[in-house]
Amino acid sequence: MNSAGTSTGVGGGGRSWPSRTSLSASGKRIQKELAELHLDPPPECSAGPKGDNLYNWVATLIGFPGTPYQGGIYFLDITFPIDYPFKPPKVVFKTRIYHCNVDSAGNVSLDILKDGWSPALTILKVLLALRSIFTNPDPYKPLIPGIAHLYLADRAKHDELAAEWTLRFAR
Amino acid sequence: MAYDSIANASIPTAANAKDFAKKKRANRSAKLKQSKLDARREQWLSQVKNKGSKEEMNGGGGMHVPRNERERSMENFVINPRREDNDGSMNHYSDSDSPSNSPTSHSSSVLGSNASGTNFTGSSSSRSSSSSSSVGCYSGTISEDDDGDDGCSDDWEAVADALAATDDKQEQHNPVSESSPEREHVTQLDSHQESTNISKPNPICVGMAVHRAPVSSRAWRPDDAFRPQSLPNLLKQHSFPMNSDRHYGRGGTAWACKNVVSAPTACPICCEDLDLTDSSFLPCSCGFRLCLFCHKRILEEDGRCPGCRKQYDFDDAVEGEATLDGGCLTVRLARSCSMITRS
Repeated sequence: MNSAGTSTGVGGGGRSWPSRTSLSASGKRIQKELAELHLDPPPECSAGPKGDNLYNWVATLIGFPGTPYQGGIYFLDITFPIDYPFKPPKVVFKTRIYHCNVDSAGNVSLDILKDGWSPALTILKVLLALRSIFTNPDPYKPLIPGIAHLYLADRAKHDELAAEWTLRFAR
Repeated sequence: MAYDSIANASIPTAANAKDFAKKKRANRSAKLKQSKLDARREQWLSQVKNKGSKEEMNGGGGMHVPRNERERSMENFVINPRREDNDGSMNHYSDSDSPSNSPTSHSSSVLGSNASGTNFTGSSSSRSSSSSSSVGCYSGTISEDDDGDDGCSDDWEAVADALAATDDKQEQHNPVSESSPEREHVTQLDSHQESTNISKPNPICVGMAVHRAPVSSRAWRPDDAFRPQSLPNLLKQHSFPMNSDRHYGRGGTAWACKNVVSAPTACPICCEDLDLTDSSFLPCSCGFRLCLFCHKRILEEDGRCPGCRKQYDFDDAVEGEATLDGGCLTVRLARSCSMITRS
């Protein structure tokens, strides 16, 4: 189990062996990101470890005013892979949302969580990117083509449905 | 007058007096040289500046060598830290000075020894045993001072002022807010006069070098920010643990800041500190720095720079892979990569 204790314990001698390096590096990196999030919390979102496991986080996003998701509170699970900075974290919406980039299982199609990932990115940037798809859905790379189609064809209808889902699931 | 000051301030450190007397006796030969130098300095000073009454007093004492010596050994209780410090520096002079003991040569040696604190420390420690022994007795004296500072508080403040000024001086700006001059009375005047004998040529030199120093007819004023500049750093390094900590701390932060400006101190990927090899390692033209371990790791996978997402240089990657199958050949990797990036 990769708790905080493990990661700090390995930290000292880890540099000579790549396998241990990755373990300690991910732990140290995640801890640093956590500290930075506490120090300078991003607006309208929060994130932190679910329990004592540093690699399982829960994040919340608040639907912004001016969007059909206004007033909704969206919970997300963030799972860090063991080789975290080199592989993107897995982000899953736990709250249902009417969004063309989020499927019914909560998977998100976000470029930086897949091919666009860079080890230099952080959870803070992921949260900001997630926040931006609330206001700017990407209907050209949809997970649910129907919603994307509606978004392009009849924006008002799309917004109405999205607001309805927000009321039903996100409050 | 000097004896007054002794009566005022030396009482709390009476126990300390014996230790000092011993050490002073051990330093006798050095003292003789010092007192001679003092006398010379006094002569010169009396020519240069307006003669205060105190000064004349000291000058007279300086002529009379044995009495001056006694005075000085007593005065060490009054102004022990600076006194000691001056002793050290004076030993330094007397050993290293040129035959022409002109004040200007003094001042140059003062400035020279001040230019780098470490230099001075090294030279003094490798120098005569007397100076090192006087170094050895610093801390005890100071702690005594800390305890019984009711009697010595004024002198202590004066010393603190001097130190603060020195500190600020070393930061190269931040004009000093010296403590109010009214706190300083005859005792300090006396002690300062004595202790700034060394630094007498200093304001002039500073005035030439810095253009900020008030070039006054008097060599020393209570609010002269540049007065303690000639106090060697030895004082702080050896006698004031707190001050020296602060000093080193500042140096450390300054160094760290400079480093941050030029390059990150920790790898942005794994958050480990960058060592010397890492920080000279620049794998991508975008300037994104990372440690060799993370670089190797990325080369093993998609091989794109985390900063700009461009593929790392192909030569780079090939070179890295070629050297890396051994396992712990990362140093070689570093060399080859940095050579490639440099060329």
